[in-house]
Amino acid sequence: MALILIMEDLMKFNFIKVVATMASFMLAATASADIKVGFIGSLSSDTGLSTLRGAEIAIDELNASGGVLGHQIKLVTADTRQDVTEGVKAYEYLAETEEVDFIISGSIDDVSLGWLPRMQEYQIPTLDTWTSYIGIIDMLVEDYDSMKPYFMNIASDEALATLYIDFGKDVLVDQMGWKSTVILQEDTAFGGAIHGLISQAMAPVAGIEVVETIVYDVATVDFAPLYSRAVASGADFIYLISSVNSQVVSSQYVKLQVPLGMTGVNVAPMGQDYWADTGGMGGGMSTLTPIPAVGMKLDPASQAFVDTYQAKYTSRPIVPHFNGFNAYHGLKQAMAAAEEAGGFNNTTWVTAMEKQDLILELDGELWLRYGWWGNDEIEPRTGRKYPHNLRFDITEPFDDGAPSMVVIQWYEDGTNAVVYPDKYANGKFTLPSWVKK
Amino acid sequence: MLEIIIQGVLLSGLYALIAVGFTLIFSVGRVLNLAYGAYIMVAGYIYFYFSQLLGLPPIAGLLLAGILGACMGLLKYNLIVKPLKADHIAVEISTLILAVVLQSAVILCFGNSAKILLPIIPGVIHIGNATVTYNVLVATIASWLILIGLYLFIKRTHVGRAMMAVSMDTKGASISGVDIDKINMITWGISGFLGAIAGVFFASYTQLSPTMWVAPLIIAIAIVIVGGIGSIIGTLVVAHIIGFMEIISVALISPQLRGVFTMLLIILVLVIRPKGLFGREEL
Repeated sequence: MALILIMEDLMKFNFIKVVATMASFMLAATASADIKVGFIGSLSSDTGLSTLRGAEIAIDELNASGGVLGHQIKLVTADTRQDVTEGVKAYEYLAETEEVDFIISGSIDDVSLGWLPRMQEYQIPTLDTWTSYIGIIDMLVEDYDSMKPYFMNIASDEALATLYIDFGKDVLVDQMGWKSTVILQEDTAFGGAIHGLISQAMAPVAGIEVVETIVYDVATVDFAPLYSRAVASGADFIYLISSVNSQVVSSQYVKLQVPLGMTGVNVAPMGQDYWADTGGMGGGMSTLTPIPAVGMKLDPASQAFVDTYQAKYTSRPIVPHFNGFNAYHGLKQAMAAAEEAGGFNNTTWVTAMEKQDLILELDGELWLRYGWWGNDEIEPRTGRKYPHNLRFDITEPFDDGAPSMVVIQWYEDGTNAVVYPDKYANGKFTLPSWVKK
Repeated sequence: MLEIIIQGVLLSGLYALIAVGFTLIFSVGRVLNLAYGAYIMVAGYIYFYFSQLLGLPPIAGLLLAGILGACMGLLKYNLIVKPLKADHIAVEISTLILAVVLQSAVILCFGNSAKILLPIIPGVIHIGNATVTYNVLVATIASWLILIGLYLFIKRTHVGRAMMAVSMDTKGASISGVDIDKINMITWGISGFLGAIAGVFFASYTQLSPTMWVAPLIIAIAIVIVGGIGSIIGTLVVAHIIGFMEIISVALISPQLRGVFTMLLIILVLVIRPKGLFGREEL
């Protein structure tokens, strides 16, 4: 039809109209060449949705201020369904069908490991906001060239472990006087990895004896006999490791009024929806969690993000999980790097991304930091290199970055607070009312 | 040892309550009602809706769940089982499909995430290292009362004796003047009611989720296979065997083997004694 119009104009020697018509088609073609951002993650989990929505809000704000490199940003999604095979297919879809410029991931560890070889193959700039597996950072140390488009803006496992140790020593031993624990651990790769950190790092350094480990299947819905066994072990407290369906093990601790203190790594209480999910049977539970965490005070920029999030979304998660913040700030950094590099060329963009450093302050103090470790820089406490990993600080007073984790606690009245470390604490670690001191 | 006995008794009581409605249908109607687990799940959500969301008293929520459970049983009998009565495989497949449909309906109404049902009666007592919630204690007592009541109903009432007659010989009962259709309707109604009551207690003991119907269905099938078709006494005994096996395996061996011994027992009974430990009995 357009060609007919042009031919008609040509036949009428209306040259100006011909040029104007052709120019309008060219402009339309240019305007449609958006920057494409691909989301990879589970579209049905709170964690996946947190990353997705963080990215959506960042893109809305960037587009409202003119986009990137003069183009609007378009978001396309690929659902991993928290499955490794689906994750690989999702990455291939984003790379081959959608031909995205940049990928933001809200994938769990196993899924990220599944699609990582595809990232090495396609060399698409990719930011992981949830996965913390140290093995991926080690891959960057060993094979920088093929891994360089990959960035992880959450502290990796090795850094997380230091907070386990510090909390164990400072609070569980020194403050509570506990000397022995029984580990209640789900039978997953996550459970096994955390168990290794607890039994080999936290327990010996903090001086806590692990008297027994009870491993349970993730389909378990009746924890009464397990808690009886834990009480019978004679340990001073229970260390819970749970990531799947963890509201059940948490609520049954409350329903059964288990007469032992319990802390650990428990994914359900990391979300603000936890209280509703447990029907209010979740008081007393505490967990280590990456930051920004539930109950934590926020810097003005992160608080503004939460306000926008709550105005825009009414479904769960009612407050974004930590990876939502990582997606929001991280995507803006990735686009700023693209502006600086003139696009997503994986050499110039990587160099520009490595220079990104966002320091967020609260009351004049460093509160959160979205920067990166230098490629050859060695973190002094762990003696490791962390290229393309979030710049964390695992030594007080946390003036070079935020800590890798904090400990939060839900109280019996439904409120929550950060209880460790002191700089971030706005509440005290306490035992539930039914546990005798 | 004390905690094993206490938790074994409590869990077994709950399992008996779960299985008895399934046994009833299998005995009287000769139907493997694979949607039975879905009654349990839906009843949990009905209770959740009335008691936890609308704030009705727990007993009212429990009764409403039971009544709606009975209605579900009656509807299923009239709309699915009766028209397909001649074809047992079609009935079983359709009940399984119905379970999946009910699961999807629950996801549509309440979402996919698991929910925690508050205890019907809150509070606990500690006996040794075992913690006994009043909720489970009441479930166990209710289970025993319901089983005794059902036993007396079947043995001592005209309708109960008619149910027994149908379970023994449908044609004979029909010739004797028993209205088979009416007896089947009563049985499906009672089964739905019992499944719903069991569902509320089971959900408050564990969790509420759209996929929770599978576990109680397996428990019910296991009890029926091991116990023998259709015996209330057999159901009670085997519920205790399975309940204690689970508690012993968790407490003394490994929590991951909880359901394994039940499965092994099913295989063993099918190979050695295909009619079940108590054989084919009337109600």
